[in-house]
Amino acid sequence: MSLPRLVVTGLGVVSPLGCGSEIVWQRLLAGRSGITSLPPEMVADMAVSVGGRVPAIADDPDAGFDPDRSITPKEQKKMDRFIHFAMAAADEALAQAGWAPITAEGQERTATVIASGIGGFPAMNEAVAICTEKGPRRVSPFTIPSFLVNLAAGQVSIKHGFKGPLGAPVTACAAGVQAIGDAARLIRSGEADIAVCGGAEASITRVALAGFAAARALSTGWGHAPEQASRPFDQGRDGFVMGEGAGMLVIERLDHALARGATPIAELVGYGTSADAYHMTAGPEDGNGARRAMEAALRQAGITPDQVQHLNAHATSTPVGDKGELAAISTLFGRGAGPAIASTKSATGHLLGAAGGIEAIFTVLALRDQIAPMTLNLDTPDADADGLDMVRGAPRPMAMDYALSNGFGFGGVNASVLFRRWQGA
Amino acid sequence: MRRVVVTGVGALTPLGMGVQGTWKQLLDGVSGIRAIDRFETEDLPARIAGQIPVEEGHPYRFDVDSLVPAKDRRRMDDFIVYGLAAAIEAIEDSGWKPTDEDDLERTGVIIGSGIGGLPNIAQAERTMTAGGPRKISPFFIPSSLINLVSGHVSIRYGFKGPNHAVVTACSTGAHAIGDASRIIKYGDADVMVAGGAEAAVCRLGLAGFAAARALSTGYNDEPTRGSRPWDKGRDGFVMGEGAGVVVLEEYEHAKARGAKIYAEVLGYGMSGDAYHITAPAEDGNGGFRAMRNALKDAKLPVEAIDYVNAHGTSTPLGDEIELSAVKRLFGDHAYKLSMSSTKSSIGHLLGAAGAVEAIFSVLALGNGIVPPTLNLENPSDNCDIDLVPLKAKERQVSYALSNSFGFGGTNASLVFGKV
Repeated sequence: MSLPRLVVTGLGVVSPLGCGSEIVWQRLLAGRSGITSLPPEMVADMAVSVGGRVPAIADDPDAGFDPDRSITPKEQKKMDRFIHFAMAAADEALAQAGWAPITAEGQERTATVIASGIGGFPAMNEAVAICTEKGPRRVSPFTIPSFLVNLAAGQVSIKHGFKGPLGAPVTACAAGVQAIGDAARLIRSGEADIAVCGGAEASITRVALAGFAAARALSTGWGHAPEQASRPFDQGRDGFVMGEGAGMLVIERLDHALARGATPIAELVGYGTSADAYHMTAGPEDGNGARRAMEAALRQAGITPDQVQHLNAHATSTPVGDKGELAAISTLFGRGAGPAIASTKSATGHLLGAAGGIEAIFTVLALRDQIAPMTLNLDTPDADADGLDMVRGAPRPMAMDYALSNGFGFGGVNASVLFRRWQGA
Repeated sequence: MRRVVVTGVGALTPLGMGVQGTWKQLLDGVSGIRAIDRFETEDLPARIAGQIPVEEGHPYRFDVDSLVPAKDRRRMDDFIVYGLAAAIEAIEDSGWKPTDEDDLERTGVIIGSGIGGLPNIAQAERTMTAGGPRKISPFFIPSSLINLVSGHVSIRYGFKGPNHAVVTACSTGAHAIGDASRIIKYGDADVMVAGGAEAAVCRLGLAGFAAARALSTGYNDEPTRGSRPWDKGRDGFVMGEGAGVVVLEEYEHAKARGAKIYAEVLGYGMSGDAYHITAPAEDGNGGFRAMRNALKDAKLPVEAIDYVNAHGTSTPLGDEIELSAVKRLFGDHAYKLSMSSTKSSIGHLLGAAGAVEAIFSVLALGNGIVPPTLNLENPSDNCDIDLVPLKAKERQVSYALSNSFGFGGTNASLVFGKV
C-alpha cells in the first residue's frame, strides 16, 4: 500500500532550557545547560542532588514557564504539572502550524496523542499524604483527572475542540517517540488528517528521585558541578539526570498542509519500534532491540543506513544504556562512517516520557537549519564510540537530508523516528 | 488488506481466574461484587468492589503464588501480576509459543492500564515519609510503570516485536486491542498480545473516584446490587479489578498453523468528546462517532449488529447518554439488537474493562448467547430496548460491538464477527 506523505508543521517546547522551540534551540546550540542543583529541602537526605527543572518566568523572563498564558488559574488546579506543560507546548505548536479548526469536520479529523512515562506523580504523592493524614473524604475531586496520563491529551483536546482519536502512550522513556509513531499511523490509516503529538513529564519529586536512585539509574557523582552531570558517552558518566518538560509536534498529511497553505518544516518518513525481551531495566549489551527499531524506521522510509547523516541518540548517560546504543549504532552504520551523533540530554537531562517529543523537535530543527547539535561534557569518549562520529565541543553546520531520533525505555521498549529535510512537494 | 483474528483469550476478573469460569458465572448471573475485605473502609464513602477471589474454596480462585513467587512480586504491583496472569492464559490458549528468531520479532505486546501502580506509589509515599528515601526499593519504579506489563510479557516469552502500552482511562483495553489490530494490519507484526490490566482497588483509588462523584455509595450493605446499569436505582459505578488479554493474529498466519479462531476484528473506531474531563457530552456525540467509525471501518451496515456490549458503568448520566447514542446510530434496528452491560456482574475494571468486555463479545458470537445486565429491575425512562435484564439470553450473534468510554472524553468501539 502506498503511504501518504506526512509533514511536520508546528513545534512546541517546554524544557529545562526554557520555553519556546526557537529560543530553546538557540540556547542548545550555544552550549547552555539546563541542569541545576535541586533545592536542599527536596534532596538533603539523598545521594542525588541535580535535575533539569523548567525555569519559572520569574527566574527566566525571556523564556521561563508561565502557566497563566495557557490555562486560567482556576483550571490549573484541576491539572497536575505535566498537563500544564503539555497545554503550553501544544499551544505553541498549534499556533506555529496555524491550526485552529472551527468546522465539525476539521475538529473530528484532528487527533491528539500525548505521552507520559509516569503522569501526575506530584498529584498522586499529594493525594496520598492527604488521604493518610486528613482522611479519604478530604481528597480533591480533581485528584484522579489531574494525574491520569491520558488527561494531557484530554485537556488539550477540550481546549482546542479536537474531536478525533485521543491517545496516550506510557512506554516509559520511549513514550514520546511512540506518540509520534501512533499519530503517524492514525493519519496513514485515514482516521485523522492532522495530529498534535508528543510527550509531557513532570516527575521531579522526592519519591520519584528516591525510586530512580534506588534503581541506580541516576547520576550522583556530579553534585558539585550540576552542568557537567549529564555526560552521555563520556567515560565519567554515572547515570541520568532527571528532567521535566514537554515537546509537541503538529504532523499532517502533506496534501492537507499544502491545501491550507501551511509551511512544512520537515517530512516524517519513517517509524520503527521493537522489544528487547531481555530485562526490566537494562538493555542487552549488543543493542539488538535498538538496532531493530532503527532498521524498521529506515525500512519504512525505503532508505539505506548510509543515507542518514544525523542521529539524536537516546543516550541517557547511564554506563550500560549508552554502551548498548553505541553497539547498535556501530552494527547498523559501521565504524568510520555513519551519522553525526549527539545526545541533547547532555543539556536538558532526561525528560522521560517527554524526551522523545523534545528530541524529535531538535532533530527537525537540525534538518531545517542544517546544523547538528553537540553532546555537552563529552570530554573523554567511551572506547565503544571509537570510529563513530560524535559531535562535541561545538555544534556542526553540515548538509543533511535524513536524521533519526531514538527513544528507549524500561521494560525493553525501543522506538525510532526518521525525518527528512523539507525539500518541497 | 491483511485480516486480523482472535486466536487466544485470557481473563482474570472478580468472578475468578480464567475465561471459562468467568464466562460460566457471568451467564449464570453471578455477581463478583462484595464488601471490600482487604483494607480499612470505615471512613470511605464507597465500601464495595469487584475484587479478585483469592480465598480457598472459591471454584475459580486466583492462586497468585503458583503464578508469581512471592519474591518476584516485589518487582511488580498487582496490576502487572494480573496482566501477566491473563496474558499467560491467552498465549497458552492460542498455542503461539514461537522459538524461531523471525517469529519472535514478528510478535508484539500492547497491554495498557488506566491507572497503573497506584497502590505501590501510595505505599512508597508512606515509606518515604516514615523512613526516608533510602527505604525506597530498587524495584519501586519498574514495579509501578504501566508499560511493564508489556515488558514482563515480552521478557517471559521472548516477544521482540512492537512493545507498547496505552492509557486512555476506561477505554484503555479497547484502545490496546484496536491499536494492536492496526499494527498487524499495517504489517508491523503478525501476532500481537493485547489487552488491559488494573488493580486500583486501594484506599486512594476509592477516595479519588468517590471525590469525583463517580462511585456508587448507596449499596454498601448490599454489594451485589451496587452495579445496576440503566436501572432507576443506580448511583455510580462499582470499582473492579482484573485483566483481559487477547492474542490477535493475521488471518493467513493463524490458518497456516491451524490455530483455533474465535472471531475476526472487523472494525475499530475512536473519537474525542472535547467536552469535559469527567462527564460525557450530553448528546452522546463522542460515543456515537466512535461506533459509527468502527462500523465504517468494518464496512458493515448498522443492521448487521446483533449484540452490543455497552460501556454502561451504572452512573446516572453516562448510561442513558450511551443508550441515546445507540438509538440515534441504529435507528429502528436498536429495537432488534440486544445490548447488555457486564459491568453489572464484575464492576468497572477501568483500564481492563475494554479488554474483558471484548472477550465477552467474542464469546457471545461463538456461543450464540448474550450475557445479562444484572439488577436491571426498573429501567429508567426511555430505556426501552432489549437490555437483557437479569438473565442471559440465547440468540444468534453474527456481529458484536463493544463500547468503551473514558475520562478525558476518549471513546473507542470494536466490532467483531465470525470467521
